[in-house]
Amino acid sequence: MSIITLIPLFPLIGFLINGLGFRKIPTSLAGPIGVGASLLSFIGTVIAYTQLTETNQPILINVFDWITVGSLQINFSFQIDQLSIIMLFVITGVGTLIHMYSMGYMHDDEGYGKFMAFLNLFLFSMLLLVMGSNYIVMFIGWEGVGLCSYLLIGFWNKNTEYGNAARKAFIMNRIGDLGFLIGIFLIILNFGSVEYTEVFEKAKGLTVGDSTIIAITGFLFIGAMGKSAQIPLYTWLPDAMAGPTPVSALIHAATMVTSGIYMIIRSNILYTLAPETLEFVAWIGVATAVFAATIGIFQNDIKKVLAYSTVSQLGYMFMGLGVSAYTSGFFHVITHAFFKALLFLAAGSVIHAMSGEQDIRRMGGLWSKIKITAITFLIGTIAISGVFPLAGFFSKDEILAHVYEHNKLMWVLALIGSMMTAFYMFRLFFLTFTGSFRGTHEQEHHLHESPASMTIPLMVLAVFSFVGGFIGMPEVFHAPHLLADFLNPIYEGSKAVNPEFGAHPVEHSTEWMLMGISLGAALIAIFIAYTRFGGSKNVPVEDSEITGVQKVIYNKYYIDEVYWAIFVNPVKSLSNFFVNVFEPKGFDAIVRGVGNMVNSFSNLTRRLQAGGTGFYLFAMVIGITIILGINLGYQVLETIKAFVGIK
Amino acid sequence: MYPILVLSITGIITLFLGFLKSKKVLLPATLFFVTLAFFANLYDWNKPGLYFNNMLQVNNFTILLSAVILLSAFLIIALTKGFIDDEHAQPAEYFAILQFSLVGAIMMTGFQNLIMLFIGVEILSVSMYVLTGSDKRNLRGNEAALKYFLMGSFATGIMLFGIAMLYGANYSFNIDAARTVVTQMVSTQHSSVYLYVGVTFLLIGLLFKVSAAPFHFWTPDVYEGAPTIFTTFMSTIVKTAGFAAIYRILEVSFSPIYSFWWVMVIIMTVLSLIISNVTAVSQGSFKRMLAFSSVSHAGYMLMAVVGLSNKSDDSIVFYSLAYSLATISAFGVLMAVSKEKLVDGRPDESIAVLNGLSKRNPFLAFILAISMLSLAGIPLTAGFWGKFYVFSDAAFRGHIWLLVVAILMSAVGIYYYFKPIIAAYMRESEGEAISLTPFYKIILGITTFGSILLGLFPDLLRSLM
Repeated sequence: MSIITLIPLFPLIGFLINGLGFRKIPTSLAGPIGVGASLLSFIGTVIAYTQLTETNQPILINVFDWITVGSLQINFSFQIDQLSIIMLFVITGVGTLIHMYSMGYMHDDEGYGKFMAFLNLFLFSMLLLVMGSNYIVMFIGWEGVGLCSYLLIGFWNKNTEYGNAARKAFIMNRIGDLGFLIGIFLIILNFGSVEYTEVFEKAKGLTVGDSTIIAITGFLFIGAMGKSAQIPLYTWLPDAMAGPTPVSALIHAATMVTSGIYMIIRSNILYTLAPETLEFVAWIGVATAVFAATIGIFQNDIKKVLAYSTVSQLGYMFMGLGVSAYTSGFFHVITHAFFKALLFLAAGSVIHAMSGEQDIRRMGGLWSKIKITAITFLIGTIAISGVFPLAGFFSKDEILAHVYEHNKLMWVLALIGSMMTAFYMFRLFFLTFTGSFRGTHEQEHHLHESPASMTIPLMVLAVFSFVGGFIGMPEVFHAPHLLADFLNPIYEGSKAVNPEFGAHPVEHSTEWMLMGISLGAALIAIFIAYTRFGGSKNVPVEDSEITGVQKVIYNKYYIDEVYWAIFVNPVKSLSNFFVNVFEPKGFDAIVRGVGNMVNSFSNLTRRLQAGGTGFYLFAMVIGITIILGINLGYQVLETIKAFVGIK
Repeated sequence: MYPILVLSITGIITLFLGFLKSKKVLLPATLFFVTLAFFANLYDWNKPGLYFNNMLQVNNFTILLSAVILLSAFLIIALTKGFIDDEHAQPAEYFAILQFSLVGAIMMTGFQNLIMLFIGVEILSVSMYVLTGSDKRNLRGNEAALKYFLMGSFATGIMLFGIAMLYGANYSFNIDAARTVVTQMVSTQHSSVYLYVGVTFLLIGLLFKVSAAPFHFWTPDVYEGAPTIFTTFMSTIVKTAGFAAIYRILEVSFSPIYSFWWVMVIIMTVLSLIISNVTAVSQGSFKRMLAFSSVSHAGYMLMAVVGLSNKSDDSIVFYSLAYSLATISAFGVLMAVSKEKLVDGRPDESIAVLNGLSKRNPFLAFILAISMLSLAGIPLTAGFWGKFYVFSDAAFRGHIWLLVVAILMSAVGIYYYFKPIIAAYMRESEGEAISLTPFYKIILGITTFGSILLGLFPDLLRSLM
């Protein structure tokens, strides 16, 4: 068995051990099993990386032939190439850190073993998603991560609200999944295969703007909208913060929500063939980025702010994809995984210290109390705000540069969104860590730094948030863009169909200017945040006192309520109609009628089976006679005719 | 070829083992013999050839079918527990007869000569007549045995008549020779009544053995009267062997005159599907219900024969295995549960005896549920793919309305297959907890695991072919 097959197998085994035996396995063992499985996967990834770099050719591994239907052959197989190996590093690397963190964070929870099992299951599904060599294996992973997300959001299922949040996430994702499925069906219909290599090879023969490709990419993008929380299917992600914080970090920030982006980059040749879809993707990205950022400004729950910032950052990634800058979008996926996981874990550490409090109006002055958390959180904040030289600066700036070349209006909007990001992130930082403590006396008494199993991942992630951006230096720095060089082979198809693909369009002077503008904008936003919230001068007012436009935004533009009124309520009344009227009088009657008919018919045929051998033999003889009549009647007739002499 | 030799010898050895005082050695010995035959069978893999003066053919298809037969036999024999609970039983004789009957079954998978077919059918049938009546103190068993024997002889007579007619038409018993004659006949447009009568009668005789309607009347009575363990044997191994023979003779000899026999086979398919599924609905006895279910599965397997596509052989192997695994599970559960409650001194075999099984033994309830789902053809079980393959075979020849009937009847099937599941999970429990020996559990675990495994990865088996 290849080492590559083992990568997803370890978490699966970990899940089975912890999942089947979570009542029996002592908590002291459950944690190491979970972390161990994740760590082994990481080691497997490192080995796979060395194998890949030996040849630089994609490694295809057929685990087994899965389904053969007609001419369609679906294999359970893996493909390791430049794209999937980076995803593997992010998933297993960040995943291992978060598993480790969970050992500290969840240790006193009664469902500790179960939590570890679910995390492992998630890891397994996510690995299938990125390792699969065809759309079906990707779909299994896609559904698997959706399921795990549901299980983990509703992990504390005794709270009804959390359960509802879990269901909301699941249903919103299902809507997207339907689009994704239709996309896959269209691929099967048009290409007769689901294997990436075959589909992309055949796609090379098509022309840009082909209408089937537009349909396929459009439907696939609907799937991405659901999974990666884009307008209009984003509303589940903020609610998903009901889950334990490590879950928010792992699933709802670093890995799962980026799978939509992974899928599009994986299918980059199809998207390059469909510029119309790309334009659509870009605008959805811009809208989401700005819209979510405005909501983020007024949120007072530490995790909600981070959730909206995630939605907003995902918007930037799609923006990058939409302007054909696939690498830039993917660059942002990587850096975002570092700093967003860091921010969430640090937020978890804050919540841990605050005995479960999440409202930043009750915090303040935590800097000196929990120093490691505070410093790492600050690094994350600077990184996401896009300040040189931290990771977020490089990736975001690269996207903005490409957007500027593509469409100036889009660039202005993106820049505004970027300013808002810096603003609300520093607002969050100042309110949480500066000024004086605003919580209860008891909370203050309990304030403490988290255990080492939690702070070590924070420090590791902080380092990566600092240096992670150096893998993609801008051209003007005259340093190699390591990521772009590494990823080059996966765009081979896109280059074949569009010769202009990947040419670097930005002038050096323009690039300097853009970098300066975005850095300046971020610094201005930070300064405004400092003047308003530095030292917690202005603490946001209580919920009941919020008025005007701010109230509308604070309540997330009442989008949930709008969805409820437009979609949920009509469906509910339709469903009521079916339950009360259609079902009892329509279907039920038909179903029962058919049932009764079969039953009475059955009573008739039962009588045939009376038990007498004589009758059985008689029936057989009749049967034989009839069959002979059918088979040979014609011949017999002919023979008789010939015998009597009729022609 | 080797399993025939192995089992003939080990059958005789088993008879001699019966002289030993201890009966305990018999079960492990028989299991060992069947395992030996199983591996002897695989020895010929990828080494096709003709044996015994061109009487028997071995190729990968016959090896797979024999493997299915021997695997089912192993599982069924393991479920007998060596008959140690029953002081009147004669385990040595039973096991010997079972091994001899397997010889007959394997002959039916690879016959190259109609005489060999006839001998195989008779070895298998006579063994079954005896085993049906093996519980000598059971009146119903005696009646069933006699009934089976009478009707079976009738069918044998018809089959032999058919073979004689074919000899008259072909001047040979060899099935390849038959094909030459048939091909010639088609090309010269000359028709021979002998041949048509021969094909019709031979088919009728074979279809009786696999209990296709309207020659199925013996099935429910015989299945019900026979000891359950032998019912299991009949409904799996006899069926697999019978279909192997039907498919072989039609594929090898008579595929050129497809237009002649398809009408007859399709009529019997439809009759089997409708009569069995509809009648099964009103059965109160689980065993009788499974008897009708066995008739209905004969109907489904006939669809592969009617289709006679290039995939039909795969479908028959897959379907046989899927069906055998599920049936062995179902009967295994029935045996374990029915002996807990006696009615008139006999095990209670009604569906009601399964009531509350999920409380009395959750493991058995789960096994039962999976086997019923597989028989009903619900996805993620082997039964689903089995149905899917035979349906696609029928679709290959464009018999759309046959598919419509089959799908409707599958829906009816779901109705009665769910009755035991409902009894096990939703009815109140009556009896006490049921305990099982670990070995019994393992065997049922294997059958169920097989059903699920093939349901998830159907190509595991298909890729062999």
